[in-house]
Amino acid sequence: MSRTWGLGLLAVLLTACQGTAVKSPPPATAQSPGELARLIAEDAKKSDQESDAKVREALAADALSKAQACIGLAPVDAGCLYYDGVALGLDARAHPSRALETLKAMLVALQGAEAKDPAYDQAGPSRVRALVLIRAPGWPVGPGDAESGLAAAKRAVMLKPDYPPNVLALAEALAKNGDAHGAQENYQRARDMATQSSSADRDDWIKQAEQGLKRP
Amino acid sequence: MDMISLLGAVATLVFCAPGYPGAAGDAQPFVDQFAKTTVANAGWSPGSLAAIYDPTESGGIAKLKNPDAVLTFVPYAFYVQYSAALHLTVLAQADVANVGTEERWTLVGKQGASAQSLSGYTLISTAGYAPDFIKHAALAALSLPGDLKIESTGQILSALRRVSTGENVVVLLDQTQSAALASLPFAAQLKTLAQSPPLPVALIAVVDNRVPQARAKSLQGALYKLSGTSGGPDSLSALHLKGFVPPKLPAQP
Repeated sequence: MSRTWGLGLLAVLLTACQGTAVKSPPPATAQSPGELARLIAEDAKKSDQESDAKVREALAADALSKAQACIGLAPVDAGCLYYDGVALGLDARAHPSRALETLKAMLVALQGAEAKDPAYDQAGPSRVRALVLIRAPGWPVGPGDAESGLAAAKRAVMLKPDYPPNVLALAEALAKNGDAHGAQENYQRARDMATQSSSADRDDWIKQAEQGLKRP
Repeated sequence: MDMISLLGAVATLVFCAPGYPGAAGDAQPFVDQFAKTTVANAGWSPGSLAAIYDPTESGGIAKLKNPDAVLTFVPYAFYVQYSAALHLTVLAQADVANVGTEERWTLVGKQGASAQSLSGYTLISTAGYAPDFIKHAALAALSLPGDLKIESTGQILSALRRVSTGENVVVLLDQTQSAALASLPFAAQLKTLAQSPPLPVALIAVVDNRVPQARAKSLQGALYKLSGTSGGPDSLSALHLKGFVPPKLPAQP
């Protein structure tokens, strides 16, 4: 029974990862690591809004090839490692049959990015890592680990406490670990922060917080 | 014609697996396909059986109480806990990929713990929602103390960490979980305390006699043959199943 519906979950899991991962990579010249990172971020954003599985598959393939080019240019660049993780997330969503293995590679890439520059993309490596750990099927089926996910979410908030997606990730991690009160407090805090934000993602953050507040 | 057909409602097969991964929406295409293929092989009219998945105990029970819920696919633990209340009659036993038709459950504790002295302990398991299964099926050979707390969890790794740090916690693992124990970095801190006899893994059952006997019979035959039919293996493998066999249930406690 353990594996029965585990893979289906991954499709949902990765949607949210892209939503929070796609921020503004550093501007750069064409085909530089920064430019490749920006193009992967664009693929991720398009994939997030795309319902056609074939198109998502093509976007994932494009993102993976750009991630490999980026790693080829700068193997230890935090941005390349981070967007390699994002590209692997797209691949996991496009190919559920191999998603569990891909997610493990995604976690390794994000861990590498965190080691190089934990503050990259508003503490993106630990934030996205947290979301993967709390949403993926847990041991022994998949790499999910609610406790480690909570620790990663706490690191993201410690590094960038004013960034609403970090607080949303913390709220979700607390809920997953059975701290309903802490989760509600942080969803409330994320909503308050998002309300005062001028980001283009503001409405999406508010929606996520409100959905979290409605959960028992 | 049965009551469901007379009322024009679609009969529903409710999949319920508390404690296991997956969300209802994600599983829907797989359970839809399974229902479609099974119905075609049973000679039921196309579209006469819908399927729905609920990963929660309370949600699954609520769905099974609806009159349109005529069949259910549940873990054996759920069956032991709720078969009397929900009037479940088993049609077939699932053959689960990489597990089989039966599995043994394993009780794990810290080094030095004993299955004979669990007073003051907490037992944690994905099957913790089914204390009757734990007491009267999986661990029927043990006399469990009255003060043993039983908790349900989907976070079995966290529970095992608590065991490894010396807490008064024991964990009841299914076969897949116990087979993976050696992969844990703290496996040396864990000890097998007891093991269940072989028990069914999962079952398909009729709910409250809501399927007339002849239709139940045709569905049962279709389930047994499903793995050898066109489309059957794909529908089964999407749910990590290999097929179905005649039920072989242990004596009810």
